Amino acid sequence: MRIFENANYDFIGARKKAYILSGTLILISLISFVVRGVELGIDFRGGMEFVVEANQELPVAPVRSALSDVLGEEPEVKTFGENALLIRTSDEGEINTVQAQIMETLTAEYPDANPTLQKTDIVGPRFAEDLKRGALYSVLGSLLVIFVYVLIRFEWRFGATAVAALFHDVVVTLGVFSLLQGIMPFSLQIDQTIIAAFLTIVGYSINDTVVVFDRIREYSNLYKTMPFPTMVNKAINSTLSRTIITSATTLFVIVVLFIFGGEVLRGFAFAVGFGIIAGTYSTIFVASPLMLELRQRSAKAAV
Amino acid sequence: MQGNGIKVFLTVAFLILAGYYLYPSVQSFIINKKLNSLEGDALEEYRQKNYAKIQRVNERALKLGLDLQGGMHVTIEVGVDALIRELATDTDQMFDEVLAAARQQATTGDASIIDAFVAEFERRDPNARLSRYFRNDQDNITRRSSNSEIANWLQREADEAVDRAIEIIRQRVDRYGVTEPSIQKQGTRRVVVELPGVDDAERVRRLLRGTARLEFRLMADPDALSASLQQIIQYFEREAADTTAATDDDEAIASADSTAEAEADSSTDVGSILGEDEQTASTNPLLNVMQPVGQGVQFGIVAVQDTARLNDLLADPQVRALLPTGITLMYTSSPIATTEDGRELLALLGVRENVEMTGDVITDSQVDFDEMNRPRVTMTMNAEGARDWARITGANINRPIAIVLDDVVYSYPNVITRIVGGRSEITGLESREEAQDIVTILKSGALPAPVEIVGEQMVGPSLGASSIRDGLNSVLIGLLIVTLFMIFYYRTGGVVADIALMLNIIFIIGILAAFGATLTLPGIAGIVLTIGMAVDANVLIFERIREEQAAGRTLKAAIDAGYSKAFSSIFDANVTTFFVGVILYSFGVGPIQGFAVTLMAGIIASMFSALVITRLIFDYMVGERRMNVQFG
Repeated sequence: MRIFENANYDFIGARKKAYILSGTLILISLISFVVRGVELGIDFRGGMEFVVEANQELPVAPVRSALSDVLGEEPEVKTFGENALLIRTSDEGEINTVQAQIMETLTAEYPDANPTLQKTDIVGPRFAEDLKRGALYSVLGSLLVIFVYVLIRFEWRFGATAVAALFHDVVVTLGVFSLLQGIMPFSLQIDQTIIAAFLTIVGYSINDTVVVFDRIREYSNLYKTMPFPTMVNKAINSTLSRTIITSATTLFVIVVLFIFGGEVLRGFAFAVGFGIIAGTYSTIFVASPLMLELRQRSAKAAV
Repeated sequence: MQGNGIKVFLTVAFLILAGYYLYPSVQSFIINKKLNSLEGDALEEYRQKNYAKIQRVNERALKLGLDLQGGMHVTIEVGVDALIRELATDTDQMFDEVLAAARQQATTGDASIIDAFVAEFERRDPNARLSRYFRNDQDNITRRSSNSEIANWLQREADEAVDRAIEIIRQRVDRYGVTEPSIQKQGTRRVVVELPGVDDAERVRRLLRGTARLEFRLMADPDALSASLQQIIQYFEREAADTTAATDDDEAIASADSTAEAEADSSTDVGSILGEDEQTASTNPLLNVMQPVGQGVQFGIVAVQDTARLNDLLADPQVRALLPTGITLMYTSSPIATTEDGRELLALLGVRENVEMTGDVITDSQVDFDEMNRPRVTMTMNAEGARDWARITGANINRPIAIVLDDVVYSYPNVITRIVGGRSEITGLESREEAQDIVTILKSGALPAPVEIVGEQMVGPSLGASSIRDGLNSVLIGLLIVTLFMIFYYRTGGVVADIALMLNIIFIIGILAAFGATLTLPGIAGIVLTIGMAVDANVLIFERIREEQAAGRTLKAAIDAGYSKAFSSIFDANVTTFFVGVILYSFGVGPIQGFAVTLMAGIIASMFSALVITRLIFDYMVGERRMNVQFG
């Protein structure tokens, strides 16, 4: 079977539309970012998280109000898989006391449910600062390293547009997290795993972009007389089949992870899945056209 | 096949290596299955017989992260600021302010509180001499010691304290009995403790943090305590009345109709202050959480889950001022009773602030049981301690003495007679484990500085097991879908790519085992992701081969061209992704590092299998067997 064989779509011609689409998406993301913000996970915000499993389903709302009375502030209570609740509090009390308060309350309210503690995640405020800094450094660091590598292997325009495309992907994915938080039935909090997802997106997207750039470089040696826009378009088209197939196989496994990977990996799979779609789009419609723009601008300047 | 000798050699060599490193993991899997199927004596016998083998295999098998096998990961920070305060021989307000500021500034795990402390001092007063706080003949810190000398000395002391804390924590963990614990220093003042298979978080926290500050204290005078209890109740009564009156006023402004009601309310309040009727409990915030006692040394009784709220109420300086002079309130370690609905009740006791004797004098301690078969810890004191103990008990016959461990009262027996011989005991323990933990803490010695748990992840064994199941399912289903898709889309080429993919997964796990890496849940996610992305190299090559075939080349020439032309794309794309993995590894923590490792291993393995192994297979099929390979 073959798809996109001898593809000859006018991607470069459609670039204005793509700019409008990308611009709108980025704008919406940024607005949502400012208005709705993103929900930080416990890793970056600090606090305590307990997963309590019972042998029957515990109702979320009554548990929340019972715990509010005891803890003196309203904790976040969500279902976590089957028959388990995730309880998150920013209480800065002593860990053992908070844990005892939660467990005793649940045992007292639901004596037949036999609640047991299955998971704790406790991040002190200063530790959270460390993790936040680490996350920021890793995102910025990888963007820098990629820029430098592409710079060395190609030229600065390629490097700059590749990084611009990466920014596009990360911003749009963050935008989705911001827009959909609280709406999706799973957690969309930004934590360390989501940062790992962002870096995976970055890695995937750069991989995609580099393949097209590589083809452009090859063609510029091959078709010396061909106008640059035509050549870029040809490069995108001849790699299109590969771009789509690889996206497809990666999306397959991401959907598998999303469905079968368990509660912990759901947000991760969602982020990577969305990021791959964004990354594939940005390779075709953002990175190459932008590189072309830069190239034409400097060509004009030279004349 | 000429010229492929080196490729064949490498492939075989890597396969043998992978097999060598994976063999213990396979053995470990079989042994664990066997162990799970056995019970009782048979289990013990099998374990005895194969002890050495089990040890060896487990040591070399691929390690599962705590998120998969269950266990606790605790990050502890040694309180260097508290150490600085302790080392100071003289302090003032400026000292306290600077120390607090330094603590704020040194937010990250690597930043030195000591540097921040010295810098902050010099910023506030360039002529400040730290020597005035730290004069200490023993360590040769005199009035003339320079600030940098003192900073160096503080640093040395801090480093020593952290190292000693690690040593003490290690002793405690060893005595607790965890298989393969890991205790590592992180940065300058943090310690990471990993305890596989441990899920009693509460107990571990107590064990790790316990400063083992054992104190013997006298207790409050019953009459004075009872009097101040009444005063405190009345204080809250007035507070409650004030707030009710304030809200009533607001309501009165909002709606004139409610005035009558508000008056009715406040009249009940007055009534309840005068006569202590049932109404009191609902309006007095203190009585809402605490049942007053005021008999003997008991101040009140409180349910475990209400202690935080009670602490908030009692933290009010005005309330503290109402307590008898030199008296503080402390909880009992274990519940004195349980209510009908299962709430455990603790007593709040009046204890003297002054410490009569500390645990320094304890030379030995052990667990045993009293006549009622309740666990207790018996302690032996040195000569000096025995002398003091005799004096203290002798002077306080018929009065209680509180035995306080880390600010909690374990027992407060009445002294019946003067105790000579330096023996004492801690009773009021909930379980044998608790007694054992106290002995452990007492024996390992006191921590040189208070430690704080700054991060903790605990995963229970059943959640870990379900994560393994979910992870394995994802790997298998992902693999199935991708391999079927490749065969469907690239025909023979797809089959070859699938062989490479399978070998790829074996290589990844082999690399993890060889480097002693740990497989975590994000790590499994990394493998699943690699399954999807690893075929990319082959997709690139196959697409190129198709293009070359379309351009009219023979199969053999097309394969040659496909591999050589796709190489630079594959290389560039993978190198950039590899860098991302390196960065993720250097900044990530725990499970995320596991993800980064599998990602990097996946890139190396997939490049090798996609470029070398598939090429070998194609060369064999086309060159030797003259097969007509289909690329879809």
